[in-house]
Amino acid sequence: MNENLFASFAAPSMMGLPIVVLIVMFPSILFPTPSRLINNRLISIQQWLIQLTSKQMLAIHNQKGRTWALMLMSLILFIGSTNLLGLLPHSFTPTTQLSMNLGMAIPLWAGTVITGFRYKTKASLAHFLPQGTPLPLIPMLVIIETISLFIQPMALAVRLTANITAGHLLIHLIGGATLALINISVTTAFITFIILILLTILEFAVALIQAYVFTLLVSLYLHDNT
Amino acid sequence: MASPVPVKEKKLMEVKLGELPGWILMQDFTPKGIAGAFQRGYYRYYNKYINVKKGGFAGISMVLAAYVLFNYCHSYKELKHERLRKYH
Repeated sequence: MNENLFASFAAPSMMGLPIVVLIVMFPSILFPTPSRLINNRLISIQQWLIQLTSKQMLAIHNQKGRTWALMLMSLILFIGSTNLLGLLPHSFTPTTQLSMNLGMAIPLWAGTVITGFRYKTKASLAHFLPQGTPLPLIPMLVIIETISLFIQPMALAVRLTANITAGHLLIHLIGGATLALINISVTTAFITFIILILLTILEFAVALIQAYVFTLLVSLYLHDNT
Repeated sequence: MASPVPVKEKKLMEVKLGELPGWILMQDFTPKGIAGAFQRGYYRYYNKYINVKKGGFAGISMVLAAYVLFNYCHSYKELKHERLRKYH
């Protein structure tokens, strides 16, 4: 039982070849390139969704922040599609691997911080000290703000990993429990119902992407525009 | 086996059974050839099921079903221990 539970999170490799690369690239097939003014239904739906999301997301940025539009939109598309594909049976979700999430979080966060320091050095340094702090508290507060700054990328990565992994694990566990309880009929229906609710809630993995990009976005906003 | 059209250029359905090994060997196995095969296959599927005026859900659901099947085949080795058998 122990080995089975975590076997689905191992990176898939066929005869030593890492096919995880293929699985990471698979969601891109589901987003075809629009080639005309009016496209087929799939592309039209995707264009409408992207327009909706990007208007929502870029509303609070100024001119400089809006140069990040492509990056943010591709980020939310990638994480959203990868998480949703992971809900299919037997599939492997790349975002359960901490390595990948760290690889996404650290460069993006570092980009926002460095941009802030390059263009608005005084304002970025001023973030370390909230307004109106009493004088004796200043050294400690600067240390605390520095720690909270450096924990931002770690929090981004670990949040995504932990949420998706925990959701998948719960589905495995509860599904296994349901199968084992089939011989005892009263509880079976109830637990199956719990699985259904849990899966629906897990479909709000999309909400998690919203959280990811939103957090990133807030950080970008604070660094660039204040 | 003298056919007026050379064996290499015939499509698969027109190749006679005896010519099949020769046909397979004469296919283009260079990287460019394999990439071309994937590209042709992709656009055949895309233009038939998705790039139409009234495409439905079936277009992408076939792709997703194939993806599920691929992952099932890949993890069969671990899954076969969970069958309901008396002796594993």
